[in-house]
Amino acid sequence: MLSTLGFRTTAVLALAFAFAACNKSSPTPSDTQASSSAATQASGGNITINGAGSSFVYPLLSRWSADYQKVSPTVQINYQSVGSGAGIRQVIAHTVQFGATDGPMTDDQLKEAGAPVLHIPLVMGAIVPTYNLPELPHAIRFTSDALTHIFLGDVKTWNDPKIASANPDLKLPSTPVVVVHRSDGSGSTYIWADYLAKVSPEWKTKVGVATSLNWPVGIGGKGNEGVAGTVRQTPGAIGYVELTYALQNKLPLGEIKNAAGSFIAPTIESVTAAAAGALATLPDDLRYSITNSPGDKAWPASGTTWAIVYQNMPAGPERKSLVSFLRWTLQDGQKACAPLSYAPLPAELVEKAAAKLDLLEPAKK
Amino acid sequence: MKMRASHLTVRYGAKVAIKDVSIDIHANQVLALIGPSGCGKSTFLRSLNRMNDTVPGVSVTGQVQLDGEPIYGPEVDAVLVRRRVGMVFQKSNPFPKSIFENVAYGLRVGGLRERGAVADRVEQALRHAALWDEVKDRLHESGLGLSGGQQQRLCIARALAVEPEVLLMDEPASALDPIATAKVEELVSDLRDQLTIVIVTHNMQQAARVSQRTGFFYMGKLVEVGETTQIFTRPKERETEDYITGRFG
Amino acid sequence: MAAVHTGSIATTPTTARRHSLQRRGPPALRGWITLDPLFRKVCAAFGLSIVSLLGFVVYELLRGSSASLARFGASFVFDRIWDPVAEKFGAATFVYGTAVTSVIALLIAVPLGIGIAIFLVEMAPRAVREVAGFLVELLAAIPSIVYGLWGLFVLAPIVRDGLAPVLRTTLGFLPLFTGPSYGLGMLTAGLILAVMVLPFIAAVSRDVLSAVPQMQREGSLALGATKWETIWHVVLPYGRAGISGAVILALGRALGETMAVTMVIGNSPQIVASLFAPGYTMSSVIANEYSEASGQLYLSSLTELGLLLFVVTFAVNGVARLLIWRMSRGAEGSRA
Repeated sequence: MLSTLGFRTTAVLALAFAFAACNKSSPTPSDTQASSSAATQASGGNITINGAGSSFVYPLLSRWSADYQKVSPTVQINYQSVGSGAGIRQVIAHTVQFGATDGPMTDDQLKEAGAPVLHIPLVMGAIVPTYNLPELPHAIRFTSDALTHIFLGDVKTWNDPKIASANPDLKLPSTPVVVVHRSDGSGSTYIWADYLAKVSPEWKTKVGVATSLNWPVGIGGKGNEGVAGTVRQTPGAIGYVELTYALQNKLPLGEIKNAAGSFIAPTIESVTAAAAGALATLPDDLRYSITNSPGDKAWPASGTTWAIVYQNMPAGPERKSLVSFLRWTLQDGQKACAPLSYAPLPAELVEKAAAKLDLLEPAKK
Repeated sequence: MKMRASHLTVRYGAKVAIKDVSIDIHANQVLALIGPSGCGKSTFLRSLNRMNDTVPGVSVTGQVQLDGEPIYGPEVDAVLVRRRVGMVFQKSNPFPKSIFENVAYGLRVGGLRERGAVADRVEQALRHAALWDEVKDRLHESGLGLSGGQQQRLCIARALAVEPEVLLMDEPASALDPIATAKVEELVSDLRDQLTIVIVTHNMQQAARVSQRTGFFYMGKLVEVGETTQIFTRPKERETEDYITGRFG
Repeated sequence: MAAVHTGSIATTPTTARRHSLQRRGPPALRGWITLDPLFRKVCAAFGLSIVSLLGFVVYELLRGSSASLARFGASFVFDRIWDPVAEKFGAATFVYGTAVTSVIALLIAVPLGIGIAIFLVEMAPRAVREVAGFLVELLAAIPSIVYGLWGLFVLAPIVRDGLAPVLRTTLGFLPLFTGPSYGLGMLTAGLILAVMVLPFIAAVSRDVLSAVPQMQREGSLALGATKWETIWHVVLPYGRAGISGAVILALGRALGETMAVTMVIGNSPQIVASLFAPGYTMSSVIANEYSEASGQLYLSSLTELGLLLFVVTFAVNGVARLLIWRMSRGAEGSRA
């Protein structure tokens, strides 16, 4: 019995330590000095590059890391899937050489970083609506107005005119709508909310955009699998998941009417099209948002995963290796995207991203 | 005749604890059971109120009668047997309750609810057990706070409170000092007027002092039973004589 | 015996006896290789390390939550709004969810766990007792993620389609059992927690009841009490302190359990009377939002939730200690 008590105390301590460990977000002089030693250069010229962040991009980065080892055997890419927010914190704390994030760093975060941070797009992703309604002959078509009011909680049944008007040929039931959202802080939530905020001023003021929200309605599931599982379990449920997860698990997906006015099915191509459609308006620092992209075939709830790197990273074999790796992901690496259900970057964006890498380490001519 | 055991055999699994024991227990007398450790006298005692029922793997053959009624039988409720045949154990075992509640416990489970009646019976039982004067001012303190001898008399009071017809005592004084032992023995002698007592003891002087009849158990068998004076002065069996003269045991 | 002993010493050669009293080891080291004091110091250091560790944890939690403490003060505990976008943080909904789910868990698991213990100790034949006891302990070894998945895919539909409609029709006059059930909510979370803490209560209660002296039972039976009366009036009161300790430990686990609860509670920060409604717990929100939290105040508020949970769990453990101490003191009392 005493041993059980001891076990509890240990658990409490472990929990508390997890906090203590995660809480070192502000950089200190010693952190900055330690940055060059964060990459361990072992004897024999092997170089390890440490990265951390987005869990969305983790399967792709693991693949890249393995493939890149064949291209450049002396470089080891070590990536930890800790979540975008934690990735940003680790970059700022100089505990990793690069981070990966599904949402660009905010102005506050950049200020906190203390020095310029480069955003290099790696790959595209999309968020798609999935639902649980039996026996419909084809996908439900959602207008942005319908989606906004579903997630604001105003649309309470599936035969609400807001949904039904766009689906005259579907016999929608009067089943109550059950909203399912991500309970864990997530880039998916960020992109979904970002899209809804762009199409609805009401969403922007009432709810806003962040990785975790004060949801007006609905139940939360942890991770894509939590949302998908809850939707599958709950008749009348609607939730949003990553496109890659939805495609791999063959979930029923809805179509969305995009900014150009056409109903678009979520595919890898329509996501790449979203980036292409937004190219004209991309900001210089590449901290863009491509939700509600104007492209004709663009999927409106699309996003990007960026690598983030300090621009003042000291020169040396580590910087060289990191830049080579990132350059490789923009070229050969993009070919690995589609088989894993990720959307590759459009060619023009690859050029802009490569130009950012030139700021760090000029390309070999 | 209060109780009669006839051809009683008790087994624990394959092991025979007592074998073919027949004995009469006379009303308003004290029957002492003596014999070396492991001879079966405690087993026999515990079979008189079906206390052995609680031991896993026990089997009983033969019969015990209480006032001519069999206590082993398909229709017999062991709980009702124990209300009429009470028991005091070798080691005092008061409940972790107050002195009052210890004594009232048997009354309450017996169905007596009325507060005044319970209080009367508790006082009466404590007086009978010669404990009243020592505890009357602290009836609501824990029974565990009493001395060893007092605890044992509390257990006797507890048993007396339900007014049993027979009281079984399993070496009730073996853990007590001489003064407390004397008090318990005195109590046994006094109680004989009201009920029938069967007492197991290791102490032959004690058996001689308190009992009218004595039975000698040896290796699971009742070797001999008779008037106490006869057993201690003119035992019929050789084994009895050897035991009481201290040649073994 | 004593005489023999004295004799043996007398016949021992005097040199050997003198040698046995001297410190062992090479003469040069004899002065300071005194293992006992060294051992004592090492153990004392181990003991102190726990205290300093604890102090360090509290310090870190306080430091981490200083921004939130300064900003919200005591209102943090009572405020219902948790809005990461607007950076308004209040813990009330999480405290409520944690409390409600833990209470549901205990309401179910305590009688059931004690019932199992009574069955195992007082009634079950030896073979059943050992097999069932093993199964109960096995329940405690199942990882919480497995409970969570089971809750999500098996228990939640049962609650939604089976339990909730029945409760609504029979006890629907209580606000606790009104409104729609999606399967995920406080009731389901409480049920999962009940299953998870059940082995704690059952196993510890079983040990406690096994430790009740047989003489206590016989004393009661000999007074004409039935088996049930004996269990209820003598055995359980005797083990009361120990069982209370088990319950408190179970409560501690229920308060802190994260993964399984997160998967079935619906993760919706609100205070609603209906148990069918989704809720949120302190540990769940920390686990959900910590990794993606950005902004100092947000992180600080999550850390303060951890501090709050730490304080509650610490207090609960303290109470458990006290009860165990009372029980062991009670046991000594009965031995004297």
